[in-house]
Amino acid sequence: MPKEIRFGAFVREVNSRHRYLSYNHVTPKLDHDDNGEPVPVRVRPYKLGSTMALRLIQPYVGIRLIDQMRAVLPLALYLVLFQIVVLRSDIADAWTITAGLVAVILGLMFFMEGLRVGLMPFGQALGSSLPTRAKLPVVLIIAFLLGIGVTFAEPAIGALKAAGAIVNVQSAPYLYTLLNDWAEVLVLGVGIGVGAAAIVGTLRFLYDWSLKPLIYLTLIPTIGLTFFISLDPELSKTLGLAWDCGAVTTGPVTVPLVLSLGIGIAAAAGKGGDGMSGFGIVTLASLFPILVVMGLSVYVHQSTTPADIIAAAQLSNGTADTTPWFDQTPWVETIAGLRAIVPLVIFLFLVLTFVLKEKLPHPGKISYGITLSVIGMIIFNLGLTYGLSKLGAQSGGIVPAAFTQITSVETSPLYDWLVGLMIAIAFAWILGFGATLAEPALNALGITVENLTNGAFKKKTLLYAVSIGVGCGIAIGVAKIVFNIPIAWLLIPGYITALVLTFFSNEEYVNVAWDSAGVTTGPVTVPLVLAMGLGFGDAVNAVEGFGILSMASIGPIISVLSVGLWVQWKVNAQHRRYDETYEAEKQILETGASVPSQSE
Amino acid sequence: MSNKKREMVVLTDVSLITAIVQRGKADEIVKAAQEVGAQGASIHYSHGRGVRERLGVLGLVVEAEKETIQIIVSSDQANRVFESIYRAGDFDTPGMGIMWVTPVEKAATFIPEDILEKFGREDRRNPFDVRPTDA
Repeated sequence: MPKEIRFGAFVREVNSRHRYLSYNHVTPKLDHDDNGEPVPVRVRPYKLGSTMALRLIQPYVGIRLIDQMRAVLPLALYLVLFQIVVLRSDIADAWTITAGLVAVILGLMFFMEGLRVGLMPFGQALGSSLPTRAKLPVVLIIAFLLGIGVTFAEPAIGALKAAGAIVNVQSAPYLYTLLNDWAEVLVLGVGIGVGAAAIVGTLRFLYDWSLKPLIYLTLIPTIGLTFFISLDPELSKTLGLAWDCGAVTTGPVTVPLVLSLGIGIAAAAGKGGDGMSGFGIVTLASLFPILVVMGLSVYVHQSTTPADIIAAAQLSNGTADTTPWFDQTPWVETIAGLRAIVPLVIFLFLVLTFVLKEKLPHPGKISYGITLSVIGMIIFNLGLTYGLSKLGAQSGGIVPAAFTQITSVETSPLYDWLVGLMIAIAFAWILGFGATLAEPALNALGITVENLTNGAFKKKTLLYAVSIGVGCGIAIGVAKIVFNIPIAWLLIPGYITALVLTFFSNEEYVNVAWDSAGVTTGPVTVPLVLAMGLGFGDAVNAVEGFGILSMASIGPIISVLSVGLWVQWKVNAQHRRYDETYEAEKQILETGASVPSQSE
Repeated sequence: MSNKKREMVVLTDVSLITAIVQRGKADEIVKAAQEVGAQGASIHYSHGRGVRERLGVLGLVVEAEKETIQIIVSSDQANRVFESIYRAGDFDTPGMGIMWVTPVEKAATFIPEDILEKFGREDRRNPFDVRPTDA
């Protein structure tokens, strides 16, 4: 070891070696033509080696992959561990489910990136230039059609269709026919609801309508219709589906696209920007579809009888032994993926060319994005069938083994009836709580809310309020299936409570609370919870397993409104205290007395 | 306040490091700069053109939205912060960004009292001032 080191040598070892290069050598030299005029420099593309290309791509893919893994893996691990540790049963088809989950992660990654690169620029171009080029009625019609288009593109909608296959035609004929024969009409109906929400939401942007009267106006007929439907024993089985549809619609496609259109319109009219204008559209987009789907089920009730449906279902079951090529994997998923994206893109393109008379900005980039989102949708659909839905259905089917006899688990019931039931409900609660806490959209909402309320409503408070609300909602939903409680008994009092709370709350908290319900139900949670509910319902021989999602929507509304009222009360109390001290101090100053204020 | 004339402390030996990186990278880079002693940074949102287009198909993975980071450092620190940013920002990869150092004539901000005490309050002549002295 040398005793002395020259400081220069030390610095050279510690720091990077600097090599100096004159930038003059790098920049292109100007050529001159015969007249002495400079020739414009032609930009030549860079040529990259494969290692360089890899280094460039690796962080880009890495970030996006990790984002989706964060959304999927914790939930999947929780379900798997719960099944192995608490329920002591192995995962059936473990490899298929793993492959399916990988497909979900990859599919979501491609889809979200495609959405960002390909579809969002469309939405923004539309939002910013549409209002200046077209009259308000045209704008509203386009907003309506866009609402329908995005509903078909919503990844979670596929889960709704997949759920149809599990419903038993004998026990719930109307539910069966809605999800099978009327499946396309059902999605269209949901789309019409979202479209109507887009219209009302846009008008709200323009005229600064308060959200409260809109909620009253929408909820009162919705609750009324729910009550009417609950009177008919056959029809009431469709209620869970109708209310779940509201939760399904507000996903990663609908919210940003409809919102960007609305914000663009508001900005063009010189309105908006007060922070609150972005809210409310999500609420309406989850309430209107409920109304439409209930209307549809009443219509189906009027036009057919349960006996007809059962007969038709048995007929089609008899003939459909050989599934045609387009009903087999992977073709059915491919077609579903194309059908979800392509019509929306064509619609957006037509509006851009014929209404706006604009050319597509960056056509290469946008077609890359669209291709990516179609590929992502196809992979996601595959993953949905083989990963999420399968895992959810399996967990849901096995959890009741904790408290009741189930054929697939030999040693069931594993625990005492009461203990087992507690375990099952705790399982549901933790599932809802954890999944919501991990939802990135909720985190974003929390930051917005903290800013809007000047820190009175902390981000953490909102996160926990919503997560606890969803957890309780899902737990109640599971209890509903076990005890076979009619969903109307839960929904009507729940929403009436929400209405009362809304009446007493500030406009800001109303906006936040009602929107937080829509934000929580992402493309991973919806299929998982939907499949789990159906599997659960099947295992305990319930008529239908819908309604868990709708309970997960009402839960956070009530919890956030309550917390909001509490925060409001606390802030008011603080103000009152300040006012009192201020008054006291003023009195002291006025009387010039240095003694504490005396009673007069 | 007393009616003493307001004093102003002017900082010399200051460098400005400006780095333009893809959107979302700034936090990581500012952290790396702070770890080697940079005090703070301001981040501006901006758009970039040029390199992305020249990367062809690969350009799709480079964000057009950029973050422009400005960090004021002392000239002693400049090299170390410059290198730290270079490593944190992977500037040796195409499309990642560019940065440069500019000398700053003078700067002024709040200087904590204890630091002022340490270096004395004597009125040092501005080294950049080329006006003739009033001797």
